[in-house]
Amino acid sequence: MNELQQTAKDLLEKNAVAVVIGYGMGSEPSLRRAVFVRKPDQAPQLIFDESCRQNLAFYVLKPEVKALGKAAVVARTPTLRTLLQLATENQITDESVVALPVGNGSVQPLTNFAAIEQYLANVPRGFTAQEQQELAAIKSKTLADRWAFWKSELSRCIKCYACRAACPMCYCSKCIVEVNQPQWVPVPSDMLGNLEWNVIRAMHLAGRCISCGSCADACPAHIRIDLLNQLLATEAMQQFGAEPGLSVRKDYALATFKPTDKEEFIR
Amino acid sequence: MPRIGVFICHCGENISGTVDCAEVAKVSAEFPGVVHSVDYKYMCSDPGQNLIKNAIQEKKLTGVVVAACSPRMHEPTFRRACAEGGLNPFLCEMANLREHCSWVHEKLPATTEKAIDLVRIMVEKVKRNRPLFSINVPVTKTALVLGGGIAGIQAALDIANAGHKVIMVERQASIGGHMAQLSETFPTLDCSQCILTPRMVEVAQHPNITLYTYAELEKLDGFIGNFRAVIRKKAKSIDEKLCTGCGVCFQKCPNKKILSEFNTHLGTRTAIYVPFPQAVPNKPVIDREHCMYFQKGKCRICEKFCPTKAIRFDQQDELIEVNVGAVVAATGYEVKDTDFFPEYGYGKYPDIITGLQFERLASASGPTGGVIKRPSDGRIPETIAFIACAGSRDPAKGISYCSKICCMYTAKHAMLYKHKVHQGKAYVFYMDIRAGGKMYEEFVRRTIEEDEVHYVRGRVSRIYDRDGKLVVRGVDTLLNAKPIEIEADMVVLATAMVAQPDAEELAQKMKVSYDENKFLSEAHPKLRPVEMNTAGIFVAGACQAPKDIPETVAQASAAASKVAGLFSKDELSREPVVAVVSRTGPPEFSNCVGCFLCESACPYQAIEHEEIKTRDGKLIKTVAKINQGVCQGCGTCVALCRTKSIDLQGFTNEQIFAELVSL
Repeated sequence: MNELQQTAKDLLEKNAVAVVIGYGMGSEPSLRRAVFVRKPDQAPQLIFDESCRQNLAFYVLKPEVKALGKAAVVARTPTLRTLLQLATENQITDESVVALPVGNGSVQPLTNFAAIEQYLANVPRGFTAQEQQELAAIKSKTLADRWAFWKSELSRCIKCYACRAACPMCYCSKCIVEVNQPQWVPVPSDMLGNLEWNVIRAMHLAGRCISCGSCADACPAHIRIDLLNQLLATEAMQQFGAEPGLSVRKDYALATFKPTDKEEFIR
Repeated sequence: MPRIGVFICHCGENISGTVDCAEVAKVSAEFPGVVHSVDYKYMCSDPGQNLIKNAIQEKKLTGVVVAACSPRMHEPTFRRACAEGGLNPFLCEMANLREHCSWVHEKLPATTEKAIDLVRIMVEKVKRNRPLFSINVPVTKTALVLGGGIAGIQAALDIANAGHKVIMVERQASIGGHMAQLSETFPTLDCSQCILTPRMVEVAQHPNITLYTYAELEKLDGFIGNFRAVIRKKAKSIDEKLCTGCGVCFQKCPNKKILSEFNTHLGTRTAIYVPFPQAVPNKPVIDREHCMYFQKGKCRICEKFCPTKAIRFDQQDELIEVNVGAVVAATGYEVKDTDFFPEYGYGKYPDIITGLQFERLASASGPTGGVIKRPSDGRIPETIAFIACAGSRDPAKGISYCSKICCMYTAKHAMLYKHKVHQGKAYVFYMDIRAGGKMYEEFVRRTIEEDEVHYVRGRVSRIYDRDGKLVVRGVDTLLNAKPIEIEADMVVLATAMVAQPDAEELAQKMKVSYDENKFLSEAHPKLRPVEMNTAGIFVAGACQAPKDIPETVAQASAAASKVAGLFSKDELSREPVVAVVSRTGPPEFSNCVGCFLCESACPYQAIEHEEIKTRDGKLIKTVAKINQGVCQGCGTCVALCRTKSIDLQGFTNEQIFAELVSL
């Protein structure tokens, strides 16, 4: 039994948590899926490797999981940040979640948000080299080219809302696309509706998205919507210094007004 | 089925001049839901309003669109007419055909088409209007007056005399403010203290006024009629109940060399002190920064001599929480010091002083007993130069505004100097003489003509020392721009009037707006000069902009009358244009997911938490709730809410959407 499995087993044995949410084998050797370990002897189901990409934080908000009791989450860095952002938005409390950090050495359970903050303070931030390259490629386009790029990308959207289903920040019980008094976004998958849906979602995530990439992983049309969110994240960072998911301090870029805000976009 | 009535107003020729009103009425009659459509010359007149009232009853209207002027002008009129006709007043909407159409376009078919569109939009909106009812909030009939200068004193006395309670907070040890420091006041030369001190005493003795001196506002929240203020009473280190103000303590205090703030550093005071003999309250405080006991742990001489044993070295700051219905900000101003001016020696010459310092020199209660003496050697200056606009009207110094009072007090200073030093020579350097005010121009003329003060129109570029004389170099722009040089014994700079150093902090504490110069902003520069844009907070005196005593007093009385007006009712009635959080059926109960990101977006702190519980008290979810008394209906939360769980009454998402789609 590896350290992760042992830690999960200990937590369950001590009744410190009711469930450990982690990664297990999927239907094919290359695939991974979420597993919900509720008994100590099931702990060996847990695995962690390069293929484990899904952001599991999203499960802790599900009523079915909440009903089980306190949950431990196997957490990569984006997942840890998600947990802090969810705490900022009053969706989880210190008592409801334990994080099991993976990917950076020891799996020492982080039992409160302060511990997660401390842990993240020592983890390098920002986008990977590849992500930066992709973002720069889009930013180097002229506005017209960029518009054409996104129009062509989003024209492939089939409005299945898999991105929303995979996104831990998309926890609204009634999403804007389901609000029909008035009907803000047209239901069919047409150009205008696709644009509206994806742009509204990107705006709703601006200053909140922790760039885990789950949306793009989930997209059956292979649209890089993660790039759209990352572009807005860099915008929020540059304009307002927004770095969501680093602390539980409430400083949502779109809702706080600081004298130091540059506001260059309206000049 | 909606039954909408449309009423097109000609506004004389204002609208009908460019818009074909009859055509608008004709086309509007065909809009779905419209059952009545007429045009009339003056809809706001009595017969016009009767058209509306009668139609409501005869045609059983469920909504009214009045296409006329701006709602800012006549919305109350038409809403009242609807109410009198038996319709909920919030089922009446206005299409602005005047400001939005006829006034800004020429007489073209397109103008009429636009007018028709504007009516169509409003018909679609009014179909979705719901009856709304005014919101009543209770009023706490106590006013908080911040600042005990002449502005605060006047406002407090007026409010108190109207029969309401007042809490006055002054940060210095005595009320009186800058006016207590002045010698004589223009243009009548009556002694400042003689007219002020009776008012100060009146404040202290007024049964309706609670006075907190040596105190500051710590926190303010709440809303009009219902503010909650926390006041920090700084430790005076004396028991005010026991102290009789006999003055033994400050006679015995060994630390006598502290520069007196009241005497603008031209005199001294002790560590335990009253700022000036006429202080109200006339009880000392210990300045802990200079007290030997607090600094070095030894002394306690005042304690030894105090006959009533009133000294309390262990006294702590006290926080007092009060509920008030209105706030008057009357926190006053500061003047720039001489060290602000590199060209005038950066404050290194003791005989270059500010106008406020000159006031103390000229005051009978001042450090020189009213004799004009040089601070450096005590000699009486034979030549004196006054420089107006020192800092003011100088964008290069960051002060582009006019300080307004300097022209007058400089004339007064020159006059006082000539009255006291008959053989002396007085020069005034000025840019313009701004003497607009009752008897002001006459006063300046008297200074120039009767008291023979030399007025030089020009600015002073430099002042430097030459053999004990201050060489004032400038230019006389009225004599072919000849350079001019005067050897003066003393120079008085009419330094700019600026906001208090912590004005910005105070404004943020009160959540009111302020301008680039940190002066508090009134709600409207002409029509709402004493209100601030946060309802229930009023402004008086120089914290709003530089102004002289008569103007300050007038503004303070105006603010007081606004407060008295507010307190004249037990409840405030306000428009129900406020945000509401939606509720739906179970299991969600509300689309609000309780992220509370709207909380920090709300500029009025109107968003609260509400727990939705089952009948047996089990918590289902916590959602946002809008405090309707605080909400100003700005709509920021509506725009921010991702789930569109918040709606603005009277401007719901559904209504706005319908308006847009109708085009």
